[in-house]
Amino acid sequence: MMTTPIVSVKNIRKTYGKAGEKQYEALKGIDFDVQPGEFVGIMGASGSGKTTLLNILATLDRPTSGTVTVNQRELTTLAGNQMADFRATQVGFIFQDFNLLENLTNYENIALPLSLQNVSAKAAEPEVNRIAKQLSIEAILDKYPSEISGGQKQRIAAARALVSHPAILFGDEPTGALDSNSAKDLLEMLTTVNQEQHVPVLLVTHDPFSASYCQRILFIKDGVIGTELKRGNQDRRAFYQTILDTLGTFQ
Amino acid sequence: MVLRKLAFTGIKSRIKDYTVLFFGLVISSAIFYMFEALATNQDFIKANGSMVTGASFIFQFGSILLTIISLVYIFYANSFLMSMRRHDYGLFMMLGAKQRKIGQLILTETLLIGTLASLIGIVVGWLLTATLGNYLMDQMFSSKLKGFEPFFLPAAVATLALYVILFLIAGVINRFGLTKTPVLQLLKGDSEPNRPTLKKGRQLIQVVLGVALLAIGYYVMANMKLLVLMSIPVALVTIVLGTYFLFNAVFVWLVVMLKRLPWASKGLHTFTLSQLSFRIRNYTRILSIVSILFALALGAITVGIGFQRQITSMATAQSAYTLVLSDPSATVKQEVKKLDRQLTAQYDQVVTKKAVYFNADQFKNQPFESVSQESQIMNQAKAGRLQAAKYQKISVDKMQKNPQQLLLNLPNWQRSKAIRIVSGNRFSRLSGSQHKVLMLRVADLSKSQAQLKVVSEKATGQAASSLPGTFAMFTEATALFGGFEFMGFFLGIAFLAMLASCLMFKILSGAASDKRRYEMLNKIGTRPQILRRSIIQEVGVLFALPGILGVIDVLFGLQMFRGLLLSPYDQLWLPFTLFLFLYIIYYVITVMMYQRIVVPKVKIDK
Repeated sequence: MMTTPIVSVKNIRKTYGKAGEKQYEALKGIDFDVQPGEFVGIMGASGSGKTTLLNILATLDRPTSGTVTVNQRELTTLAGNQMADFRATQVGFIFQDFNLLENLTNYENIALPLSLQNVSAKAAEPEVNRIAKQLSIEAILDKYPSEISGGQKQRIAAARALVSHPAILFGDEPTGALDSNSAKDLLEMLTTVNQEQHVPVLLVTHDPFSASYCQRILFIKDGVIGTELKRGNQDRRAFYQTILDTLGTFQ
Repeated sequence: MVLRKLAFTGIKSRIKDYTVLFFGLVISSAIFYMFEALATNQDFIKANGSMVTGASFIFQFGSILLTIISLVYIFYANSFLMSMRRHDYGLFMMLGAKQRKIGQLILTETLLIGTLASLIGIVVGWLLTATLGNYLMDQMFSSKLKGFEPFFLPAAVATLALYVILFLIAGVINRFGLTKTPVLQLLKGDSEPNRPTLKKGRQLIQVVLGVALLAIGYYVMANMKLLVLMSIPVALVTIVLGTYFLFNAVFVWLVVMLKRLPWASKGLHTFTLSQLSFRIRNYTRILSIVSILFALALGAITVGIGFQRQITSMATAQSAYTLVLSDPSATVKQEVKKLDRQLTAQYDQVVTKKAVYFNADQFKNQPFESVSQESQIMNQAKAGRLQAAKYQKISVDKMQKNPQQLLLNLPNWQRSKAIRIVSGNRFSRLSGSQHKVLMLRVADLSKSQAQLKVVSEKATGQAASSLPGTFAMFTEATALFGGFEFMGFFLGIAFLAMLASCLMFKILSGAASDKRRYEMLNKIGTRPQILRRSIIQEVGVLFALPGILGVIDVLFGLQMFRGLLLSPYDQLWLPFTLFLFLYIIYYVITVMMYQRIVVPKVKIDK
């Protein structure tokens, strides 16, 4: 059955450096789709171009050529304010270093995307409480980010990313700064969100354990997609082994 | 050497921020030089003893204040400098640079910038003194003051010495501050939490204390007789402390209250409010200082302008005539014709040993005028408004009943004689020496002052006017109050430039650590224009608060000048507008620089 992909990347290239100077091509023609409800991982070593790719998908950067469509919007044609609005309404973002605002309480951090869309405080409250209940962070809503643990911070960040019902959730090494237990918690939580609410997730990571939670993994190397791995009916442990084997041969 | 090269590339990459910092330092030292050029030039002060009465005291007072402000200014400028360099220094230390080497680097860098800035500042100050100083003097005294030298070596030496010493101190403080900080903290910057808590009891005490101290300060200023000269330091101390407590208590409370309003949940308002409460603890001290400086600067300009306006009002309310010329010669009459006159009358006199006689018929044709009741200086002061004086015509009957009112309009040598106004018939039969008096009033005293000077010099052969009429009064008052005004303007603008720069650099030194926050906001989809608006509001509050308090301080502070100024509250809008205009320019520059530092640029190639 053919469905409209939620993310569609067509032959994108990204070159750094001005013409005439020494140029560096970070992305050399990337093509892939993400279907609705999918949990996709992008793996690659440092410098492979995966962060550049994610920045382009999140309109934080623009490709030199090629097209990107997210939720039926062509990103390369968006103007400045449209790009900001796109990030605010269509994309949820979880970063390695949490990116929480330390001068706002956790509640205010989560409610921020809603207030940016001018949702009234009254209307925002049930939304924040709903997501807080779902992620079990109700008890720490009134604290400040500096008063909670790294794992809790990442849950707050996830709540902030999900509160405005994004079309897709991007994760940029979200477990990178977490201990193994917190990392496992977060990944399980992402899986639940993905399966129960059908929010597609795109995870950029170099950690095989994180990647083992994905249904499909794209391996990126030197600016091109090398291998693609599907989990299929394998359980997570078996898939983890497959990833390790692939990484061994891929690199 | 690698390290030095690294340091210079660090500076190169932030050349714009350094330019602003450097520019601010140059302006600061230029103003200091300008001030010193006047304050330390004894020739100038002595030569204009009558003109700048009490100037010595005011100059010294101003000089001390300016030194203190310069210290505060350099301190904040320096912390801005450091906030830009923290990360670099952290990096050098991580790379294994010895603490001593880093210390040397900091000291060299700070001293180099300081010396260079003050040298350029002295040159700028010299040019400013030569142009602006002369212009101000031309405007106020319509002549140059004697002994006024745009370039004055002792002032240049004093400026350079003070700035180098201040920078040396700042450099040493930086060195110890930075080398004692752990490397990791330097790299990560400060992100300490600041929970705005409401401790009701403590806050209430602070509010009560703040208001009480302010009340004492205002009361002391309004009742100068109580403590006389001591009231100035007492008022300064109580008002500074009162302001500080009030800022500390009310501000946090206000932010918490505002956050509860529905308004707060719209757009970035929560963030803006949090930013403010996040900073206010760091800011209460500088905001208190700035509000006091604001008051001093605005007060200086207001009082200066008040004195200036008083000169014309006081002079024109003295008599209906600007000049009274006795037996003017043909050349004098020639010069009189060039004056823009409102009223000219010539009367014949017969002078005997005991009396001066006037012809009543001449007063019928050219009525004598006097200052109207409402324009009398005492009545103007009571009404609290200074206006251009109004004049009334006096009937011949009244003149004859009270001829004494002519007295002040007579030449000096006639004043001891009786004044008689007699009918035309009697007048023609009188025997005695015959004279003529020419009485004239110009349309605008200050506009005509140059030509009036020519006339009075031609008539008396002396530089200073000793002729009857308001012009003499005007020249004397200008000499007396002009010095005050000059000082007021000078001090006012110097203070304003310093305080606004202090505030600017204090705000900008926070910008480096704010950069990350604005980047995050950008990542989660905040429109750049909303980020900009948030900055406009945040910086606006930080500028407005001390401004408002400063204005209140001035309104009360003017009470002190009731003894010197007829109506200190008259036409306040003029100095206030002028001052706010300059203040707003600083605000706009700060907002623009802040935005340039923190608002992320959209990465768009081609």
